[in-house]
Amino acid sequence: MATILDLHSHSEASEDSRAPLDAYLNWIKLRHKERPVDGIVLTEHRQFNAEADYRALEDKFGLMVLKASEVETDYGHVLVFGVTDEMTRRFDFANVRLSAQEVIDEVARMGGVAVPCHPGRPTVGLCEHYEKRPPLENVIAVEVLNGGSRKGEDERSQELVRKYGYRAIGGSDSHLVSLIALCATRFDADIRSIEDLVREIRLGRCEPVDFRPKRKPVAPAVPVEVAQDG
Amino acid sequence: MVDFDPELIGRVFEVTDPAEVTAEDIAKYCAAIGDANPLYVDEAAAKKGPNGGIVAPPSYAVTFRNGRHFFTHVPRYGRQGFDAGKDVEFVAPIRPGDKIKLSSHVKEIYEKTGRTGSMVFVVVRSTVDNQKGEVVAHIDHRFMNRT
Repeated sequence: MATILDLHSHSEASEDSRAPLDAYLNWIKLRHKERPVDGIVLTEHRQFNAEADYRALEDKFGLMVLKASEVETDYGHVLVFGVTDEMTRRFDFANVRLSAQEVIDEVARMGGVAVPCHPGRPTVGLCEHYEKRPPLENVIAVEVLNGGSRKGEDERSQELVRKYGYRAIGGSDSHLVSLIALCATRFDADIRSIEDLVREIRLGRCEPVDFRPKRKPVAPAVPVEVAQDG
Repeated sequence: MVDFDPELIGRVFEVTDPAEVTAEDIAKYCAAIGDANPLYVDEAAAKKGPNGGIVAPPSYAVTFRNGRHFFTHVPRYGRQGFDAGKDVEFVAPIRPGDKIKLSSHVKEIYEKTGRTGSMVFVVVRSTVDNQKGEVVAHIDHRFMNRT
């Protein structure tokens, strides 16, 4: 059975989000036809809450809630899936200058997977750094669909994937309730845990899915003749 | 990582003089924000209401800084910055006759990166209390500094 998850979201635990988790889940339930996800992954900025337990909310809404983190590195922002105590001891998640190469290698060694996110975004995306420095080694996947992308950013990410052969995931990067699950990732497998998710990303058995409403093209302006008096 | 003295965190660096609240001030504020709720402006209606008298709209708590008082001791980093917003927790109503003061401390200093580069955020928490020492609100002022 396939599973669709929004792999990138921020609740009010992130300092720049005002979205309560229960409001996210309620919004998904209300809009499940347009955004048919089975759950979300919370990727709070520069932190990981090992104690947080969302089982009651999962049961209430019938949706899965998994935990990960978004850390900041010398090559931009990186999603870390499968966070362990060993990782949080090894890295200070609050440090905005982590070495991306170390994060990718060490997270993999410790059983997780590190995925550079919004690579097409200026300053905090991989593309801009690849223009100045050598590409990172051992990158398995990058986030090619990001719900917060501006015009051209996802296209840059897709070009990066074509050039380097990376696997691709998607996530909403939602900081507001109404933006949850606009982008997500479809897995062929039945995902029940963060371990399942890490395994499937590593195997590349996933693809990004886009639930953003397509904008209707704007009709060209039609000149209007104005009657001239006299 | 951003460099700062850890002893800065939690230390009260500013306490304002008490400012007395009047029903007229509350009415002016309500007129400015377009709120005609009788619980805020009509003495007779407010007496029958849940608070037993006129109270200020919750957002009135924020006025004790803006327009009356501006921090002069907020730590600054880098070349420029701006007020990046505030979170307010409303605890108890503010009433005419209350003498309100703010005690402010640095709650948090953190760094982050975004589309536009590196930033240092300084979060100042103001505890707003009245003449009885009752806390009426907590306000977290977030200041962004471009590094």
